[in-house]
Amino acid sequence: MLRNLLSGLALFVSAATASAYDIGTIIDRHVIPGYETLARRAVELDTAAQASCSADSHDLRAAYNAAFDAWVRVSHIRFGPSEDEDRAFALAFWPDTRGFTPRELATLIETEDPVIETQEEFSHVSIAARGFYAMEFLLYDPQFTAAEPEDYRCALVRAVARDIEANAEAILAGWQDGYAVVMLTAGENDTYRSREEAAQRFFGAVATGLQFTSDTRLGRPLGTFDRPRPNRAEARRSGRALRNVVLSLEGTRQLVRLLAEDSETVTDTLDAAYDRAFEQAKELEDDPVLEGVDDPQQRLKIEILQQNIDRIRELLGTSLGPLLGVGTGFNAMDGD
Amino acid sequence: MRHLKTAASATALTLGLTGSVFAADVSKEAVLTTYADIAAAKYADSLATAQTLKAAIDALIAEPSDLTLQAAKEAWLAARVPYQQTEVYRFGNAIVDDWEGKVNAWPLDEGLIDYVDGSYGGPTDENEFAALNVIANPTFTLSGEEIDATDITPELLSDTLHEADGVEANVATGYHAIEFLLWGQDLNGHGTGAGARPYTDYLQGDDCTGGNCDRRADYLSAATELLISDLEWITAQWEEGGEARTTLMGDVDAGIVAMLTGMGSLSYGEQAGERMRLGLMLNDPEEEHDCFSDNTHNSHYYDGMGIQNVYLGEYARIDGSVVDGASLSDLVAATDADLDTEMQLKLAATMRALGQIKATAEAGFAYDQMLERGNVDGERLVMGGVNALIDQTGSIERVVSTLGLDQIEFEGSDSLDDPDAVFQ
Repeated sequence: MLRNLLSGLALFVSAATASAYDIGTIIDRHVIPGYETLARRAVELDTAAQASCSADSHDLRAAYNAAFDAWVRVSHIRFGPSEDEDRAFALAFWPDTRGFTPRELATLIETEDPVIETQEEFSHVSIAARGFYAMEFLLYDPQFTAAEPEDYRCALVRAVARDIEANAEAILAGWQDGYAVVMLTAGENDTYRSREEAAQRFFGAVATGLQFTSDTRLGRPLGTFDRPRPNRAEARRSGRALRNVVLSLEGTRQLVRLLAEDSETVTDTLDAAYDRAFEQAKELEDDPVLEGVDDPQQRLKIEILQQNIDRIRELLGTSLGPLLGVGTGFNAMDGD
Repeated sequence: MRHLKTAASATALTLGLTGSVFAADVSKEAVLTTYADIAAAKYADSLATAQTLKAAIDALIAEPSDLTLQAAKEAWLAARVPYQQTEVYRFGNAIVDDWEGKVNAWPLDEGLIDYVDGSYGGPTDENEFAALNVIANPTFTLSGEEIDATDITPELLSDTLHEADGVEANVATGYHAIEFLLWGQDLNGHGTGAGARPYTDYLQGDDCTGGNCDRRADYLSAATELLISDLEWITAQWEEGGEARTTLMGDVDAGIVAMLTGMGSLSYGEQAGERMRLGLMLNDPEEEHDCFSDNTHNSHYYDGMGIQNVYLGEYARIDGSVVDGASLSDLVAATDADLDTEMQLKLAATMRALGQIKATAEAGFAYDQMLERGNVDGERLVMGGVNALIDQTGSIERVVSTLGLDQIEFEGSDSLDDPDAVFQ
């Protein structure tokens, strides 16, 4: 009886190790380092903004871009501490389909709203006037780079930098001070009732991240063949549209490799698909803001990149999903 | 934690009875039949209340007065009750999702349709036609084409104006276009009050306010006519032999996935995310679903109720009769009774949270006021709904997994072509 039970157990264990992703490894090698980098870059951004709030300050722009890079690499991890208190939303409100960001920023400046004076107060301001995309308007859009009164504009730049820092640090702290344990103890808590649920959360993060890059980062500027929308490219003012696509792919690839760790077949298949996407992105290096969407030849290259990403998404479903024994679950992009 | 468990098992006892009746022989076909029957009933109810709305709008146009305007508004509010409960059918049933933009598209740049306040602004980067004002302009140029809008017909609205220039915010048809034509813009910001369009906007002759009252009446008439023909079409799709029903029943596993996709996508991405949390985070009073009429609390409430009645397989019709039958709940209970209890409790908790928003709004604290920056009580109320919806999504995912459906999602050929239709 006992013997039967034990051998049954052994079978079960070996079946499970066929997909021996390790939640701890994923957290240690992907999540924490990613958020540590983001927090460090955010501190540097805050320091740079304190040193010079001038929109054309080389140091400030460099610090901004470095912090934005760090964000995009972890931007697919949309659960847990990034969602608490709307932190990720406050770091990255885009796409802004109704022009909230310039409107909110203009209102703050026009009324010289004192809400920017303390971080506590500023944390209640509309997410449209906070985070990397609001900062982009302040540093790169002619409507804001020299907005008057200068004192207020400068203070607003510093408030946005300080808020980015606060959110970045809070997300990292959230993982270090509790959420990592919640995931590690999957099966012993109510958030993750099994190891599969924790794996599903990461798997869903990859799927959502890729969907966002394909549908939104590329899909919005592509529009339709008859009506391309170059003005809808992400972060086009700072020339980051293509860069963000590549960074987001790098971010999900790292997570995919960790999830697929024990299956060479799956790893190789997905790696090859990612390689194709990166190679295709290189073809676009002369068009950092994807403005070629309205040029038939250039557009084709962008469409191929989108197809390359969709191919990765398909492979996730047909190879990695079954390996992990999970589906992707629901995400924020379900719906309209 | 322990407390929740005790509560759950107590409920399991009472719910267990209904569960066990079907548990032995509940079939997926039977569950899908109830789901389709409920869809047919909900759309038929939406159609019936839209016909009542049309009668009220005809009366308003024939004899504009505070009274007839008020009656039309009340008919619109009543029409929303069954319609919002159908929204759970959108995601997962491609035929519904492809169609629903005609009747319930939102948010809209209302300046496309009629006059707006100066604070609204003009054309935007996103939408060149945000302030087109068709009612005031019988001819205009749209994407290089000269448009003759002398006659405002249902075809003009649906074929030319709706989503003009490929911009989704150009909403020319459906409930929200009608809502705007009845209420007008809500210019109260985070203050008390909804839109206050005067009935004189429909007076013909010298007493007309807002200009072009004849064209405004034509627009309202055409939009209402179109709403009815669109609802007739979708109702037919769910009847015996209709395409929506046939597709659904054609593959039972895919059909169950469609049910759960609808529940999960509406709960999480759409309602908790796009409609509730985003509006709160933007602190924008226009970021509410029924912004002209201040009826958003009901939109959210009946959306939630639609999700719940799909799971329970039970819908109370507008005449009080009930459509019910074998349910997803029965199906889950047969596999995992605890999970069924959990799912029912989560759905009930959501209805409680949405009910608190509704009760508070009806007592005078309007939804747009809840969205105001720094309004702690409003934020708590709205986030109560958001959190409950997110929480129930987790249980819906468990149901998908328990029913062994989590790999099916990738088998459909449209899994990546139509990201809205599947679990992505």
